[in-house]
Amino acid sequence: MGIDYRVLQEAAKWFAVLQSGAASAGERQAWNAWLEQPEHARAWAKVERISGQFQPLADDAVARTAGAMLHSRQSNRRQALKVLSVLCGGAALSLAGGSLPWRQWTADERTAVGEVRDLRLADGSQLWLNTDTAVDIADDATARRLALYRGELLVDASPSQGGRPLLLTSREGRVRSEQAARFSLRQEDGHTRLSVFAGVVDIQLDGLGITRVAAGQQTDFSRRHIAPLSAARAEHQAWASGVLLADNQRLEDFLVELSRYRHGYLGCDPRIADLRVVGAFPLGDTERVLDALAATLPVRIERRMAWWVSLEPAATRGGV
Amino acid sequence: MAIEGMVRQQMLHRLYAEHHGWLNGWLRRQLGCNQRAADLAQDTFVRVMTKDQDMGAIREPRAYLHTIAKGLLINHWRRRQIEQAYLDALALQPEPVAPSPESQALIVETLLQVDAMLAQLPAKVRSAFLMSQLQGMTYAAIAIELGVSERMVKKYMAQAMLHCLLLVAED
Repeated sequence: MGIDYRVLQEAAKWFAVLQSGAASAGERQAWNAWLEQPEHARAWAKVERISGQFQPLADDAVARTAGAMLHSRQSNRRQALKVLSVLCGGAALSLAGGSLPWRQWTADERTAVGEVRDLRLADGSQLWLNTDTAVDIADDATARRLALYRGELLVDASPSQGGRPLLLTSREGRVRSEQAARFSLRQEDGHTRLSVFAGVVDIQLDGLGITRVAAGQQTDFSRRHIAPLSAARAEHQAWASGVLLADNQRLEDFLVELSRYRHGYLGCDPRIADLRVVGAFPLGDTERVLDALAATLPVRIERRMAWWVSLEPAATRGGV
Repeated sequence: MAIEGMVRQQMLHRLYAEHHGWLNGWLRRQLGCNQRAADLAQDTFVRVMTKDQDMGAIREPRAYLHTIAKGLLINHWRRRQIEQAYLDALALQPEPVAPSPESQALIVETLLQVDAMLAQLPAKVRSAFLMSQLQGMTYAAIAIELGVSERMVKKYMAQAMLHCLLLVAED
């Protein structure tokens, strides 16, 4: 029994809508209504069968990697490395995930992975951009404006001139300072982190009014929620001086942070994930940081490929 | 019916006798391996045999066999590529994994099926579909990876699914 081409086309469209994971309640309702016709239900059963063919592959880590390698080889061999690092790192992806990707490529100022750069704004404020960061800089008669699209920045803001505040937007909301202030802003996946080291900074979210964050405090905010204030952490400005600070940090978390400064995959065996890292490490040379970890912790560095580094427990059965 | 079968059998015999030699030689040069060449030559004739067509209608048997063998050869290379990708991927796992030979074979087979199903699609459409179906990437992430809009990713997804639907439409 053949199914009408038009019905197959509709089924494919519904698949694309539902697979996005962002289907609205209205769309789901409309899809349910569509399903009520027997021919539509038959077409949908085929969609599910095809989609189901991928399930054993999606459930298998090796197959997932192999699949990524295959389709990248087909389209562009040189991209294989990129796809793999995305696939394995995961973090690289979530950092890039956003509603306005093109913004990152057209932004006024960008830094490469591993680059930390400082620049002076027209009003004399000092701005530092951390690794893999994109910002727009714009001044007009009413305000000095910065837009953070990706990454992290630290600003040492001059006091408001001629009543023009400093306004900084991230994906989730806006922060504002009138007076001299020193603070960092970091775009995470789904939230923004503000750490204030001097002065006061206000967070403005649509419909939530203003929350004041004073020197020595930090918080995370999403579009609809501001986390309770906590103590600002020194490492959130230390990077501007080229230092990666770890204050009793879990090794796994430390590596996530370190991997922001280098390409490729960096991770560790779960058995050593909870080891604690303490120290100040030079950001300019992440290989040296890894060597330092191997020298101070019971771990060894496993370099499977130039861009694939994994830390493993140092002592294995039988001793090394 | 029986006579028809016997005629077929005889024609196949003649086809085999006249063409097996050069076909085997050609495949051996392509593959650099006697055993594999012999297997593929065999497969070529099996393919001809199982094709439900009048063998008397084959006007250019040499070109015909060549075409079939070439298709099999491409499949063979693709399978090798997929097996190699699987082995590479195995070596890349952060934790040592040792899947049983059965499950390895099953996964490679499934990869082959999926690969064949998507082979005719434009590269970006195929990539978008695989990123979503295999890696569970969001449309936003796929859009960044492919340098297209999210709306385009959604279009790609529908296009790929329609393509698969049409392929399985017969059954």
